[in-house]
Amino acid sequence: MDFRAGDSWGIFAFLCAALCNLPAVPALNGTEELGAGQSIQKTYDLTRYLEHQLRTLAGTYLNYLGPPFNEPDFNPPRLARAEQVPSATVDLDLWRGLTDNARLAANYRAYSRLLCYLRGLDGQAGTAELRHRLGHFCSSLQGLVVSIAGVMSSLGYPLPAGPAGPPLPPGAPAAPNDFLKKMDDFWLLKELQTWLWRSAKDFNRLKKKVPPAVVTLRLEARGF
Amino acid sequence: MPPLLPLLLPLCLRLLHAEPLAYPAVISPQDPTLLIGSSLTATCTVSADFHLRAEDLYWTLNGRRLPAASYAALGPTTLSVALARLNGSKQQSGDNLVCHSRDGGILAGSCLYVGLPPEKPVNISCWSKNMKDLTCKWAPGTEGETFLHTNYTLKYKLRWYGRDNTCQEYHTAGPYSCHIPKDLALFTPYEIWVEASNRLGVAVSDVVMLDILDVVTTDPPADVHVSRVGDLEDQLSVRWSSPPALKDFLFQAKYQIQYRVEDSSEWKVVDDVGNQTSCRLAGLRPGTVYFVQVRCNPFGIYGSKKAGIWSDWSNPTAASTPRSERAAGGCDPKGGEQNTTLRRELKQFFGWVKKHAYGCSNLSIKLYDQWRVWLQKSHKTRNQVLPGDKL
Repeated sequence: MDFRAGDSWGIFAFLCAALCNLPAVPALNGTEELGAGQSIQKTYDLTRYLEHQLRTLAGTYLNYLGPPFNEPDFNPPRLARAEQVPSATVDLDLWRGLTDNARLAANYRAYSRLLCYLRGLDGQAGTAELRHRLGHFCSSLQGLVVSIAGVMSSLGYPLPAGPAGPPLPPGAPAAPNDFLKKMDDFWLLKELQTWLWRSAKDFNRLKKKVPPAVVTLRLEARGF
Repeated sequence: MPPLLPLLLPLCLRLLHAEPLAYPAVISPQDPTLLIGSSLTATCTVSADFHLRAEDLYWTLNGRRLPAASYAALGPTTLSVALARLNGSKQQSGDNLVCHSRDGGILAGSCLYVGLPPEKPVNISCWSKNMKDLTCKWAPGTEGETFLHTNYTLKYKLRWYGRDNTCQEYHTAGPYSCHIPKDLALFTPYEIWVEASNRLGVAVSDVVMLDILDVVTTDPPADVHVSRVGDLEDQLSVRWSSPPALKDFLFQAKYQIQYRVEDSSEWKVVDDVGNQTSCRLAGLRPGTVYFVQVRCNPFGIYGSKKAGIWSDWSNPTAASTPRSERAAGGCDPKGGEQNTTLRRELKQFFGWVKKHAYGCSNLSIKLYDQWRVWLQKSHKTRNQVLPGDKL
């Protein structure tokens, strides 16, 4: 499925993203408008939207990198530098065994760093269309980061301390040559895909854990 | 402490202490830039830790295996490949030349940038909106752009002062355009040119010289009203105001009107409107709805002798010519049909009025015309503003 900004689904999800771009507030009580359940639902929706958006973006970007990067079974070695990108392939049992707080915090940190790497993708690269898609995706991903912060607040968890900030530790080298940079870009997109796929499952499960009384969609209050 | 933190911390620490780690192999030259048609010999040298020999290696270019006949072992761990008469790069990010081990694994890669130096950009044209800014567009010279990424920089300077300025806001009016938002002088010529650069070189366009006052365009005329001329069946009167942005400047505006019948896409242009802000259209068909648009050329700003640049057309305004009742007689064979159609339309119209017009005191033929326009818009038919010429 190819998502375009004009899709009603896209518009809805984007409205969610815009709404979620609120400053993180301390733990809310039940009378606050944005209940935990609603927050989680919005985050879930945004994750799915990003998943779909990424399919088109990745396709376009890998075509720009050229073969073999856009071949379906391409699987290059994960060389040293590419390991800086937060890997989504953690042991599943270990992952499931984490508390909700820890899992949310890991998601928050991972997407913050993925966002920074994405922003670092060569701004001069490719066609205007590609740059536009990248910019659009980064905005949406930013919305997801804020949305996750919102969920953590509404559940009473503290936001992960420390830098979601500086993209790379000082002194970390940029890729030493253009080909290695292409491989880094490939892995960035691949990890992003896996993170989004897994986050969707995480938020779906979290949705079911939150007490049903909180899961009332107050759409009229938001003027939809 | 969240259990995941111990997992993340070592990763962060490892980054801070990162040493340049050994890569399986090294290709030379790394990421070269080449002219189309040139030849290249590349070498792949495997690092000692990997226990691979030259005969265990092979090359691919953009995913396609290169023939073994072009290989040569230059040493126990070094394999070369000869590429002749290279074509332009398949993608602007560079052709992917990759050194593989026998099992297909990637050992190293090099991006080949094969193309031509850029050609001079051409056809620079500029316009200023209300003398406040300057937008220029140009066309690339052909070949260089397709193979290598080409950067365009628009530069400008006052003719008699030394300093070069660089335009910053690109792609405002298409891919090859730039917008200069402020700090522009009037009554003095500018020199404007575009530099195109890619990995193989730079090309500079011819210099265009212009005074901002000679390329002024403005907003379309405001408050365009079209109304009947009494009972005259073949005339409509068009009135408008001159564009407000330029009202403080001395200029003679030239105006143009274009109009068309509701169900046609052919516009008729009235050219000799001159400086007035009203005009009468004649020779029209009775009982017909017309769409009318007006545009403005700020000719002769501050006494400049040159024509300015035509504004966009105003949004279409609709009006209908009267139809006298006697005309429904014998002449038009389609007369009977039209009456039934008209009646049906009128019924629909009154239904619409009940819903949308508050109180019958507003009932007038103007309301009927407004409804005709709405009908057109809701059927998405033919109410198009055709792209007009700017000059």
